[in-house]
Amino acid sequence: MKASLFCTTRYDGPASHTVWPAPGDTYSKEWAELAMQRTLDQFKLGDELGFDWVTVAEHHFAPFSMTPNPMVMAAALVGVVKKAKIAVLGPDIPILDPVRVAEEMAMIDALTGGRMIAGLMRGSANEYVTYNINPTESRERFDEAFQLIRMCWTETQPFGWQGRFYEYRTISIWPRPVQKPMPPIYMSTASPEAGEFAARHRLGAGFAFTTVQQAAKAAQYYRAQCSAYGWQPDPEQIIYRLAMHVAPTDEEAFEDMQAAAGGLPSIGLSFRNKAVEQAAAEGGYYGRDIEGQRARLQSRGAVIDRIEKGQILVGSPDTVLKQIKRIRDELGCGVLDLAVASQLGDKVPRAIELFGRKVLPRMHEL
Amino acid sequence: MNMIGADFSESSVEADGFRIRYREAGSGEPLVCLHGGGGLRLSGTHELLAQRHRVIAFEVPGFGRSPENDRSKTMDELARTMNAAIAALELTHYSLLGISFGGKLSLAMAMAKPEPVASIVLLGPAAIRLEGGAPPPTRVSPEEALKLLYAHPERVGPQEPMTPETAAKNRKISERLVGPPRDAPFEERMKSLQMPVLALFGTLDRVIPPEVAHLYKETLPSCHIIMVYDAAHAIDADRPEAAASVIDDFLTRGDKFLVRNTSSAIHR
Repeated sequence: MKASLFCTTRYDGPASHTVWPAPGDTYSKEWAELAMQRTLDQFKLGDELGFDWVTVAEHHFAPFSMTPNPMVMAAALVGVVKKAKIAVLGPDIPILDPVRVAEEMAMIDALTGGRMIAGLMRGSANEYVTYNINPTESRERFDEAFQLIRMCWTETQPFGWQGRFYEYRTISIWPRPVQKPMPPIYMSTASPEAGEFAARHRLGAGFAFTTVQQAAKAAQYYRAQCSAYGWQPDPEQIIYRLAMHVAPTDEEAFEDMQAAAGGLPSIGLSFRNKAVEQAAAEGGYYGRDIEGQRARLQSRGAVIDRIEKGQILVGSPDTVLKQIKRIRDELGCGVLDLAVASQLGDKVPRAIELFGRKVLPRMHEL
Repeated sequence: MNMIGADFSESSVEADGFRIRYREAGSGEPLVCLHGGGGLRLSGTHELLAQRHRVIAFEVPGFGRSPENDRSKTMDELARTMNAAIAALELTHYSLLGISFGGKLSLAMAMAKPEPVASIVLLGPAAIRLEGGAPPPTRVSPEEALKLLYAHPERVGPQEPMTPETAAKNRKISERLVGPPRDAPFEERMKSLQMPVLALFGTLDRVIPPEVAHLYKETLPSCHIIMVYDAAHAIDADRPEAAASVIDDFLTRGDKFLVRNTSSAIHR
């Protein structure tokens, strides 16, 4: 198995984690600088310890993740992360200019000598408010943006695009991706619609903000769809994201997590703004599995329940390895995307180091 | 509900010993349309273009209601016949629009008589094809043909039904004259065409897939490629607004169509 280190660049100073958009009146540049520096330090450490990937994500108007443009953070990692792949998981393509996304990802691939992983995301409903895009058109926009990005990467002659949501007269991007025919592409496949899409286009599958049981069900559906399209994904084409904290003993890790649990961002951003969430839901944003999709974004529980549900890895290295094996057996994922809980402060680098030294080598053998 | 193209008048012209039927609507710069291997079929794209152009859609001898045509031995002979039909209508300056088979025919017409041709519009053209691609819709069952032609059959609109005899006749002449997928002498002659060309490819087209588009760009001296998202082989029927808007812009402004000239202001 492979491990990716995911730092959200969380703002750890006083800020609202319950409303969206979060107001900036408590913002201080010192806390922000600290968050940026910690992110760079943690990614550097992770790379030195042999993490296979590092992950950056896109979220807007929220202190829990100060990377509204993951491309900028990915670019900042070019000289910092020297061996690991840089997983940009990823731009919310329906709210962005797809040509710009193709260009920026190609730049990162060129800057890293072909170490970029492309996660093309739909994003949660609130992200649509960010750039004033109608969330009920998100799936159609995703389909078109995805196809356009892929064509930007592969078409060698200038071409125009007459889409439904996007129109360009001539496109010919420079630089182009190093990886041929194109970088590995993943998408979030929690919903049945997304599972079908990923299977149809032979894309990798990512599961986040869910439980291992729900993800296993969605992965089973995705694999069945892949079979229907005549292929099967490699283990590495299934990513599962969860939080991680490792300490020398189970007791210590558990106590750390209990103390920090109050601040865990375990509720989806959309749910921090009732009007946004309800308007999107009424407009059909969640698709045909509306109950399941809404439930997974609201789930929150005690640390012990979250371990049981496979939402966090907590414990000593031995315990965490057992938790990993269980997740792998249930889900068949080849990559774990591990979010470090930055509110643990000084304990985070130690957790990364313990994971890197005591868990990662054994995880690689799984 | 009216047939697609109900506003198009029906006429015919004598040329090169053939009586050639055509449909016509609109006024402005003439746009001469050459249909695909399935015969004359008007679409929403023709209707939209007729709002600003004089659209003349010929039925090529040997297709549709015309008698079987054994006389035209090559695509070049057929091109000379169609140029004669244009001359008989006394058109001195016009653009050509060719769909699939008609795409190759319109290129051949421009090769034979380039001076009056202002520009050429190609939709899923059959002049350069990939080996091993999907068969032309004329070669498969009617059900398969529908899948190859339309990503959105619900948008086609009411059409005149086609008898099996007409389908067989269309297939016979298009297969006889279309030439091999890679027609080296023809491609060599394409390099001499100096007028601006707009070539549209459907992202879902399996007959003339978007992967072939770059060959047109590399062969024609002045060619703009446009990918029409979510369109199969019958681009003009699948995405009429998308196709007509870019074709109209190109016909009106030529190469300058690259630069957007409509406002992006939201509020005044």
